[in-house]
This record gives sequence, structure tokens and C-alpha cells, in this order.
Amino acid sequence: MALIECRELTKEYRRGENVIRPLQELDLEVEAGAFLALMGPSGSGKTTLLNLIAGIDQPTRGELIIDGEDVGKLSRSRLAAWRADYIGYVFQLYNLVPVLTAYENVELPLLLHPIKRRERHERVATALELVGLADRHDHYPRQLSGGQEQRVAIARAIVADPRIIVADEPTGDLDKPAAHAIMNLLTRLNQELGKTMIMVTHDAHTAEYAARTLHLDKGRLVESGAHIAAGAAMEAAS
Amino acid sequence: MIRFRMMPLVIRQVTRHRTRTLLTAGGVATSMFLFVAVQAMQNGVAMATETSAADTTLVVYREDRYCPFTSRLPQYYLRDILTIQGVESAVPMKVVVSNCRASLDVVTFRGVPSEEFSGDYAARMTLIDGDLQQWRRRSDAALVGETLAARRGLKIGDRFDAAGVITYVAAIISSHEPQDQNVAYVHLDFLQQTTDRKLGTVTQFNIKVQSPKYLDSVARAVDERFASAEYPTSTRPEKAFVAQAAADMIELIGFTRWLGWGCLAAVLALVGNAIVLGVQDRIREHAVLQTLGYNSFLIQRLIVTESLLLGLLGGVLGAGLAVGVLQWGQFALTADGVSIPFAAGWTLILFGVGLSVLLGVVAGLVPAWQAARRPITTCFRAV
Repeated sequence: MALIECRELTKEYRRGENVIRPLQELDLEVEAGAFLALMGPSGSGKTTLLNLIAGIDQPTRGELIIDGEDVGKLSRSRLAAWRADYIGYVFQLYNLVPVLTAYENVELPLLLHPIKRRERHERVATALELVGLADRHDHYPRQLSGGQEQRVAIARAIVADPRIIVADEPTGDLDKPAAHAIMNLLTRLNQELGKTMIMVTHDAHTAEYAARTLHLDKGRLVESGAHIAAGAAMEAAS
Repeated sequence: MIRFRMMPLVIRQVTRHRTRTLLTAGGVATSMFLFVAVQAMQNGVAMATETSAADTTLVVYREDRYCPFTSRLPQYYLRDILTIQGVESAVPMKVVVSNCRASLDVVTFRGVPSEEFSGDYAARMTLIDGDLQQWRRRSDAALVGETLAARRGLKIGDRFDAAGVITYVAAIISSHEPQDQNVAYVHLDFLQQTTDRKLGTVTQFNIKVQSPKYLDSVARAVDERFASAEYPTSTRPEKAFVAQAAADMIELIGFTRWLGWGCLAAVLALVGNAIVLGVQDRIREHAVLQTLGYNSFLIQRLIVTESLLLGLLGGVLGAGLAVGVLQWGQFALTADGVSIPFAAGWTLILFGVGLSVLLGVVAGLVPAWQAARRPITTCFRAV
């Protein structure tokens, strides 16, 4: 059974007199542990689909069933609790809280769970170590490079051990070496920790890290393809 | 409120937005300082003028006179007063003030005969320091009220000079009556000779009645007894007398109530403004928190707690400083020989801080509600 199932998933909103449909009757299945890249031109609906899967937006019609639960029908507060359990979100612009240190930023998702302080500390330390920033735990975002900020954001996304990691253009604001490092990290999380990874990207090279790519246009799925292996991109890049 | 493990998050927001916090807390502290000072004056008026059911003291003054310089009564009235039914004791008193106008540092001397004073009248006072026997023995000795002693820095054995009267501090007394706290009791004949060299003339009589039920009847009887005399009298309960004597000053103090309300409005506006700006500035941050799984209600509570902390910080600073300054200065507004003390203590600090916290919470409610109801995706698009 697929971890994520979209059935005739539609998103509409009004802008003045016009009805905008960024996503139209989309059907999709994503297996647990998959690494999926969403590509397409601006306005094609890829970020809308990502936001729906992440539970930060709700569909107008259709079903979005994740791990057997129709998240499109959850109330706002239950959806928040669901996000805390299921989703780790990596943003293009990192979105770290500027007045918090790297450690404190990573700790944020854990504050929602009844975890003892000691265990919280251990989990934050492990996450920072995994992204290679254990020695920068007391640095504020302004004291970090773009790549380092994104690695802190990834640590924040994984620290609560979510099943799905969604990434919206995770390398869009980074130079090539930093982008490569970030993609290697995401690939490791997918392959070594078995996290289901869904990533939006404009960049075909970045998409090659994913095992499968979906192309969207005008809110519809236009093409679906599988890469040979995510590891191939890693090797090619290095 | 939020869970304890969330508190560091709020505290970091307050402590790490240092400029905003200092400006807001500073503004709140200034407003609360003024509010507490106003409230201390209002409390002082209430303490000095609100008659309680247990009050048993009447003041006999010259009819239609409100200033101690113009109220002159023959000392021999005492004999007649003591014969009125319900009177337990009476003390003739000459009042001399260093400044007849309203001021924060007026020295009021009350000249009293030592034998009458030592009885019932002195019973309402507590000796803090010094020796009552020495006061009785020494003609220029003074029993100094605690507030006056603190304000002037007087100690036992000091000599002090005010209104041309030089006295020796023999004892320091305290009393629950604000009028006793801010005066120096000296011997009547000493004061009469030192000031106008007129023996036999006093400013007022203070009468202690046998029980509160005699207050009205004794007051009426005294005024009737002297109605056709050369110096007719006007007799009122002590606190009503204070209210009448300081009516102008009390009216002005009453007006400051509006200043107090203005201070509270300023607190509300300051904290509200800081939180609104903070929330607008952190739209994306709140959207990120919601993406991580923080629900709307939690976001609201985080914002309101931050607002509460700003109010608390400013309130503690402002109210604490105000009470500290007022306690240190022992200020009292005095006019025509009656004192209105600034009544400030722990209760007022707690009241000020509580009000500040409450206003902080109220100021945070609307921005918190606005922040929490925005859809997450809209927040990301908005910035």
C-alpha cells in the first residue's frame, strides 16, 4: 500500500472574479521510502501539491490519504498535530528563526512532544551531528553560510523523526558545491534512514538525485519518469 | 498559559529583541511609575479622609476658618468641652506650620499640654525610639512623627529648626493616623511663647469621645455651647476635618485620577504597538512554527505570553521604582496644617504589576488572534 495517495486532488481559490486552479484532479501514489522530485514551470502546481502533502494547505476537492488517513479532512488543530508527527519541511530560504541559535532552531519541533530535556538534548545533538554542524550549535543563523543554514533547517526537519520530508527548492538559493552537499545529505536521509522524500525543484540536475520525477503543467501531471538510481547523481556530481 | 518547556522560547524572544524590549519595557515602566505615584496619592487621600466606624476623634476649629494662622480659640474652652456628655478627653492644640501653602515638605508643629496629651490621645501612638519622660521633662522637646523624621533624617538628640521654632528630638513615634505621622508634637506653652508670645490661645481642640455613637451629638453640643461666644466653633470628625481643610488639594489629587487612566492607556498602547509590530515582523516565523506543527492556539498563547512578559517587566520596574522612591522620600502633601501622605507599599506594587500584566495580556490578544488565523501559505506569500 502506498504511503501517499492522491485521488482527483484539486485545489482552487478565488482571485477577484476568477477561479484559479493550481491543481486539477491529480492522481498520484508515492511508496514509503521513495525519493520523488516535482518539476514544472512556475504556476504548474508543484508547490501547491507539496504544500497539500505537507498539510499546510488543504485541498478543495479530492482525497489526500497519507498512511491511511485522509488529511484533507482533518481540522486545523488536528492537522497541526499530524504535521508535527509526519512532516519535516525544508524551505528554499531556510526559514530559521533569527533570534534562536542553531541548537534552539533544531529543538523547536521537539518542544511539541512530551520529551524529557535530556532526551531532547541528545536528539538535537544527533541531528546536528548528522548534518555536520555539531560544532556550530551555538551559532545564530546570521553567523552561518547559506549552506550551513540549510543544513540546520534539514536537522530541524528530521529531529522529530517524521516519516516524510518535503523540500521546496532546497538548493535554490545555494551555490553549486553547497547545493551538492545538501543533495547528498537529503539522499543519505532517504537511503540510510528510509525517509520518504518529496522535493520541488526547477533544476534538472538536482532532480537527478531523486529516484522518480513528476512533471506538472497547469495543475496536471504531464510526465512521470524514473531515474536509474539516486546514487548515480551523487557519483556523477562528485 | 503555555507549557513550561515553551517558556524559554518566549523568554528568548523577549531577551533577544533587546532594543524593542528595552523601549517597550521602559515606556511601560515610566507609565507605571506615574500610575503608582498617582495611586499612592489617591490612597493617601483615602487614608486621611475616609472615616471608619471605629473613629472617635473630633476636631474643634474656629467657625469659618480653614488655616491654622486664623483659627484662634481660647484655651479655657477646654473646661466647658470636658463637661459635655460623651467626651472622654480633650487636648487643646496649637498648630504652627513652616509653610501655609501646599507643599511636599511642610513641618507642622502641634503644641499640646503634656498632662492631657499623655493620656488617651497619646494612646494611638507607638514609641519607636527615644524617651517619653525626656519629652515631658524638657520644655523644647519634640515627639516627631515617623514620616517627618524619615523625610528630614532626624534622630534622637538632633535639634531642628522650622518656622522659627527650634526643638530637640526626644522621641520618634508612629501612628496609624496619617496626621500624627507627619508632625512634631511639642509643649503647648513652649510653642505659644516661641511663635506669637500669646499664652491661652490655641488653634483647635482634639476631642476623644467615649464611643463612635457620640461623635455627632458631641460635635453638635460643642458648637451649640459656643455658638453665641466671641469665638464660635465648628466641630467635625477628624477625617472630615482633614477633608474640609485640604479640600482644594484633594480636588486636585482627584483630578490626577485621569492622569492615572492615561498612564494605563499608554501601557496598553505601548505593549500593543510592540506586539503588533513584532507579529507583523514575524509573519514568516509564525508560519514556520505552524509548519512544524505548532497549532494556532499555541501560537496565540506564545504571543500573549510574550506580551504578558513585556507588561510584567515594565510593571515590576515602574511600580517597584515608584514605591521605592516614595518610601525613600516619605513624601506627604501638606496644606493648612493637614497632611495627605503618599501611601505606597507592597500592596500597591502588586496592584501595579498585576494591572500591567493584565494590560499586557489584553494588548497581545488581538495581534495574537490575527497572527493565528492567517493561513500558513498566505503568510509565506506575504513576505
